[in-house]
Amino acid sequence: MDRAQLLSMFRTMATEIAEKDFSHVTEESVIADLGIDSLGMLELVGSMERELEVQIPDDELVGIQTVDQLLDLVEKRTT
Amino acid sequence: MRPHDAARTLVEALETIPRRPGRGFRFVGSDRQERFFTYEEMWQEALRRGAHLSAMGLDPGDAVALVIPEGHEFVLTFLGATVAGIVPVPVFPRATFKAIDGYVDVLSHIVESSGARVMLTMEATRPFVEKVMERDVGLERLAVCEEAFGGDAPDFERPDVAPDDLCFLQFTSGSTSRPKGVMVTHANLVANSRAFLGPHGLDRNDDDVGVSWLPLYHDMGLIGFILGTLVCDIPVVILPTATFARTPRLWLETLHRFRGTITYAPNFAYQLAAKRVRDADLAELDLSAVRVAGCGAEPIRARTLLDFAARLAPTGFDGDRVFLPSYGMAEATLAITFHQLGNPIVVDRVDAEAMKRGEATPAREGATEGVLEIVSCGAAFPEHELEIVDEQGEPIGERRVGEIVTRGPSVTQGYYRNPEATAEGWRDGWLRTGDLGYRAGGNVHICGRIKDLIIVNGANHYPQDIEWVVGDLEGVRRGNVVAFGVMRDGTDELVIVAEGNSGDAPALRKAIAQAVAERFGLSPGHVGIVPVGTLPKTSSGKAQRKKTKAMFEEGHLPEHA
Repeated sequence: MDRAQLLSMFRTMATEIAEKDFSHVTEESVIADLGIDSLGMLELVGSMERELEVQIPDDELVGIQTVDQLLDLVEKRTT
Repeated sequence: MRPHDAARTLVEALETIPRRPGRGFRFVGSDRQERFFTYEEMWQEALRRGAHLSAMGLDPGDAVALVIPEGHEFVLTFLGATVAGIVPVPVFPRATFKAIDGYVDVLSHIVESSGARVMLTMEATRPFVEKVMERDVGLERLAVCEEAFGGDAPDFERPDVAPDDLCFLQFTSGSTSRPKGVMVTHANLVANSRAFLGPHGLDRNDDDVGVSWLPLYHDMGLIGFILGTLVCDIPVVILPTATFARTPRLWLETLHRFRGTITYAPNFAYQLAAKRVRDADLAELDLSAVRVAGCGAEPIRARTLLDFAARLAPTGFDGDRVFLPSYGMAEATLAITFHQLGNPIVVDRVDAEAMKRGEATPAREGATEGVLEIVSCGAAFPEHELEIVDEQGEPIGERRVGEIVTRGPSVTQGYYRNPEATAEGWRDGWLRTGDLGYRAGGNVHICGRIKDLIIVNGANHYPQDIEWVVGDLEGVRRGNVVAFGVMRDGTDELVIVAEGNSGDAPALRKAIAQAVAERFGLSPGHVGIVPVGTLPKTSSGKAQRKKTKAMFEEGHLPEHA
């Protein structure tokens, strides 16, 4: 799965969880500004983990602030 | 030595808890690896850590801040401090995805008001935590568990720990501007644990197994599943909190695997778990051993619990028997009232109009409109008293709404080094809870919060803190902002109303939502910009939350497009 597909998965899942539009989200977006709360973000990470059958350790998630940092983590584990 | 059931302190409880085969604490790490400790292993490790902590120059009565994300490291360090008479101050490790500055502010406030000179953390959290060293809050040393407790324990003479000694400081959540440390003594802890786990509470038995993913730096997770269970001899399985939201299934799976009998969660978690669990999971799970599914920490919505029970019915989960609506707060150690165990939840249907006047009048039979459903939280424990009082502090009758006050051996003495706040909250041994409720049929029903606390997903937010942050933004004047919660789907949704010019409205709405997300990790349900001069003010010029909220709910706020 390439980066564009991962970003699109992120948008779709965010929309499903927070029930609003996330089509404007780019890799540079700051997660805290997206309008999805931290519980919702954890749900989203969980959904991506399930879909891609990967597991991201908690302590690696702690420093994440932007969408591209999160996608880096996911990509590292899918390839 | 006293027998375990007569232990007067946490230290005596840990020393004497029966060393029966197979019993102890099991921790699932953030790496999902399981670590099991027998009670003897926990005791020996607590002695070792206590020796190391006292070698760091900590004396009995000194505070030590614990910012430790791994469950077993946190618990063993907490117990180590306790054994050495040192007072642990649990602090939440930084929440993922939130901006760092706000976190460092809270942490600094807690360090300063607890007087902690030493802080323990772990390698993973050190980069965030160490920023506190740059603040002038009296912190002298930051140590990481991976290094601090390696090597042989130095010589150590265990101090006497008395029942009236401080056991730990429980900082109340939410308020960034005024964190307050509740002083929990050993006597408070032991009294409350025996009350809520004893015959008038959960009625513990030797087959019980607790399962929890609740945060360990808050009373419900810490006392409910770590300290209380040590006092009353209940083995537990502890899951990392972050995994719950990511994989709610893990909670249910763990209950299944270990034949868990007792678990607890806030309302939102039952909702999330019911939504996420898949049919395939249900077929594989056996939850028939669960005899207590407690619910507390935020307003309880009957619908949520009933939906969860219906969804989980194929697993043998018995919703008619196991739900335990509970009411409590850190200032009373943990538990104040519990619903009567083994009975279906009791839902009181009252007339919404009458409730606005403070009267909990039963709704007309069959009425569907204008009805509020309020879940009963049961009655106070033996040796504890509870009253509903009016504004003058006089007890009022059944079905009249007033402030809930309580006293008894679980009620703490006040806030650490904060006599003003203590004087406000405690009067003649009675704790004023700040919660509004009424009594019906001897049972307490909680209906709101005097202090306008906003609770989102189990976390408390003080409107004033949010108003301050928004008031700092360009285009908004401090004092011309109001934040409040409105109930939606069983949890509060944050609404912010600010005064501003119509031309700026779209940009302002965006800036407010961003600031609130960064600072509090909250996404406001609604941000309204109203013309300057619209918000109702007090005589001193402060915007009034209650009136603004009423205007909002009645659709009377003239918002800019």
